[in-house]
Amino acid sequence: MNLLTKYLFYLLIFTSVQVTYGFEIEDIPVQDEGRIKPLDTFARNHLLAFYGKRSLKDLDLTATDWLMNLILDPHNGRKQKIFNVRNPDVIASLLMEWTTEHKYSFNDIAPMLTGQSAMLASIDQKPSKDRTVFEKQLLELSRNILRFEEISYLKALKLIPPGNDNSSGEWMSPYDFILTGLPMNQYQEKLLGSLQAYLSGRLAKEEHTMQKALLDYENALMSFPNKEFEIDTLRKETWMNKVNLFYISLGCYIMAFIILALSWMTQPLWLSRISIAFLISGTVLHGYGIILRMLIMGRPPVSTLYESIIFVSFIIMIFSLILEYFRRDGLGIFIGAITGSIFHYIGFSYASDGDTLGMLVAVLNSNFWLATHVTTITMGYGASLMAGCVAHLYLLQSLRNPHDEPRLKSIFNNLYGITLVALFFTLFGTILGGIWADQSWGRFWGWDPKENGALLIVLCQLMMIHMRLSGIAKRAEFALGMGLNNITVALAWFGVNLLQVGLHSYGFDDGVARNLFIFIAVELVICFGLYFWPRLKTKPKVT
Amino acid sequence: MIDIKQLIKFISSPKVFSYTVVWLIVIVFFGTIAQKDVGLYASQVKYFSSYYFLFAGFLPLPGGRITIIIMTVNLASSLFKKNLWKMKKLGIIIVHIGGLLLLIGGGITAKFSAEGNMVIGEGESSDHVDDYHDMELAFVNTSLEDSLEYTIFDAPLLGEGKRIKYDKLGIQIDIIDHIKNVRIESRISPADSIYKGFLNDFVIIPKQPDKENTQNRPGLIFKIEGTGKETDGIYGAFLGQRVPDTFEIGGELFFTEFRRKRTYLPFAIELLDFKKVMHPGTNVAKSFSSEVNLIENKIPRRVLIQMNEPLRHRGYTFYQASFVDGLDKETTVLATVKNYGRMFPYISSIIMSIGLLIHLLINLPKMLKKRSPSSK
Repeated sequence: MNLLTKYLFYLLIFTSVQVTYGFEIEDIPVQDEGRIKPLDTFARNHLLAFYGKRSLKDLDLTATDWLMNLILDPHNGRKQKIFNVRNPDVIASLLMEWTTEHKYSFNDIAPMLTGQSAMLASIDQKPSKDRTVFEKQLLELSRNILRFEEISYLKALKLIPPGNDNSSGEWMSPYDFILTGLPMNQYQEKLLGSLQAYLSGRLAKEEHTMQKALLDYENALMSFPNKEFEIDTLRKETWMNKVNLFYISLGCYIMAFIILALSWMTQPLWLSRISIAFLISGTVLHGYGIILRMLIMGRPPVSTLYESIIFVSFIIMIFSLILEYFRRDGLGIFIGAITGSIFHYIGFSYASDGDTLGMLVAVLNSNFWLATHVTTITMGYGASLMAGCVAHLYLLQSLRNPHDEPRLKSIFNNLYGITLVALFFTLFGTILGGIWADQSWGRFWGWDPKENGALLIVLCQLMMIHMRLSGIAKRAEFALGMGLNNITVALAWFGVNLLQVGLHSYGFDDGVARNLFIFIAVELVICFGLYFWPRLKTKPKVT
Repeated sequence: MIDIKQLIKFISSPKVFSYTVVWLIVIVFFGTIAQKDVGLYASQVKYFSSYYFLFAGFLPLPGGRITIIIMTVNLASSLFKKNLWKMKKLGIIIVHIGGLLLLIGGGITAKFSAEGNMVIGEGESSDHVDDYHDMELAFVNTSLEDSLEYTIFDAPLLGEGKRIKYDKLGIQIDIIDHIKNVRIESRISPADSIYKGFLNDFVIIPKQPDKENTQNRPGLIFKIEGTGKETDGIYGAFLGQRVPDTFEIGGELFFTEFRRKRTYLPFAIELLDFKKVMHPGTNVAKSFSSEVNLIENKIPRRVLIQMNEPLRHRGYTFYQASFVDGLDKETTVLATVKNYGRMFPYISSIIMSIGLLIHLLINLPKMLKKRSPSSK
């Protein structure tokens, strides 16, 4: 274990190392979608919306490089096949040729869209819930084309902080100053001047001029009175974009699983130690990613659905490590590696929708009770799912090796303990949610779907615990109930949004509904299968 | 005679609790699903706030209230069990006391709390709260010298087919129809002479009620007798009616108003300014707030009510709930609540978490060990 302690120490040092490189073009602040973000994030999200990926790997260009090239050479940028259109109906409606590559340039699409302006206007007037998939995609494409054009002549790049007289807090783009002739104050003038210097340096490929211009840019930014951003925070975000902690963390979990499998086959001790080390590194990176996001946005760990996914899996990882610490037979690693990997995949699919650091509507903004409620209930989801995983293991174990009573009993005790912990977090989190509701809009409980979802988890756990105590349920039935409780958690977490009523329903799409039904079906088959299989096998002997 | 011990043993059994929880799970699950079709309020009334409900139209099943009452009795009686009062069950005892408090608080809230909306335009003031759901009919006497005299008929009096005899004015009112949601249309052919007021030119037509009860525009059709030949007849009224019907009773001039049930407060609130702030460059609201004067005994006090920062005064709490964008001025909507049970969740959640923590601290290390001690 001494080796492990040392390893942990180095890992902590690695993750706490501050970003040390200088101020780069990627780091310059842009205001977009209501928040101030580094240019890197801006470029990545737009490239993601247009192209479907966050960089141009074929041309070996980062998102910021692509953006700079577009600004410096819009003529060629418009010829670049940057728009990824995968719906043949959209292509056909624009009278374009369908290719297997699905890639089109601005010059391909823009003239065709102009021809369809009447249709676009009619789609735009429809309420968004009445639009078909085709209409939604066509509208999105037309908005992307417009956005692309605005970027190419710097209109969409809100790079310049407002002067003192501007109360809305809205930033301005170079376009606003150059073409509409807005008056500038001295800070804004300095900023724009160094931006011009940088761009001309970049065009002439003079490394030295670019460096100097960036330095001037940074100084100009620093000199702004009452600025609402920290250059350090911007840099952190760029660094996080580059390093992508959650990808590395996923890698660690997968490695932990492979090595654990090897150690079960060959049984040397050092293999399982390496496996633990991988799991711990994955968890540390995972947690560090969450902390960085909190620092960047200055808000608690969970406020969007995406963040709840990352956070729940982090909680499961912590529980897995604790379980492994007490058991030391690989069960904790097994659960952690599998669930951690699955949740990272789900998280990535959510992240592909765009900026994962979005702004929040008023009622969800900055409130002590909300922060504690969401964090606690999310921990409750994590602990409940962990109990569900251990329940699956119990059922599996009683099928594989029904006569190893001590082992079965010990797994059951783990299951019961984790269920109590889960009950603590879900119960407390649900009540805290009520307290938040009481603080914010005056009622403790309103039978809103999300509240009911959380309540259902609490009730299911209360039910199983009391059934076990009163002898209605034996160990196997308890495990079955807690395994099926995973379905309740999934429904409370994602399913509530299917109903689209109440205050909690945030964005949702059909894909999630499908995945949810698949999950429920699979869980039903697995839990009942594991439970009934041994009972069906032994029955013929009795008769 | 029934053995008291046996009875307590039965009603305090965790088996009873288990089965009530199962039933509660069923109600909560289906009540939540039903919200998609009938809306939150209707489903709440049918499943959660009811003593019983009819399944498939004929089979009465226990509703949320009965279930929770059984649960409360079960929980309370379980505290009288002798074998519970042991040191090692301390955590469990505390948790159950906390749970009992939570349920009792819920009961008090369900029974005694009142909620509604206060709607104030900029520069105006209000001293009453509008109920979310119940309506009332007001007869307003405008013939007095320096004041208006209101005669209010409450929601229970306004059911279809009800007859109100009001001797003070010497009139009799028959409620012909009370409709949840209406639209108003012009008459195509001339009306029968029995229709008076705006019903002379318009008709009230029932409309499919919206799932959100607050979106509905209720309407009332009623017949007045005893005022004299000219004014006796059938009248209509609906929520938000701009021009009210007027008529004479005993030489005094009245008009009717069909409005949300009002509760008057011992103070008034005047809206000075409503502000909303957006996230820069987006349509997403960052915050909204109302700057108000709280006027009591004619003395105003400045208060800022904003999201998550309500005004609490004399047992009432005012929350920034919504707003209406007008052409020249904005209107704020303050959700108003009077709740006697609001401290219960705070106290009980602290008690329950302490109890659970004690229980976990005593038992968890034992449960997480790989080999349980008893198997050695």
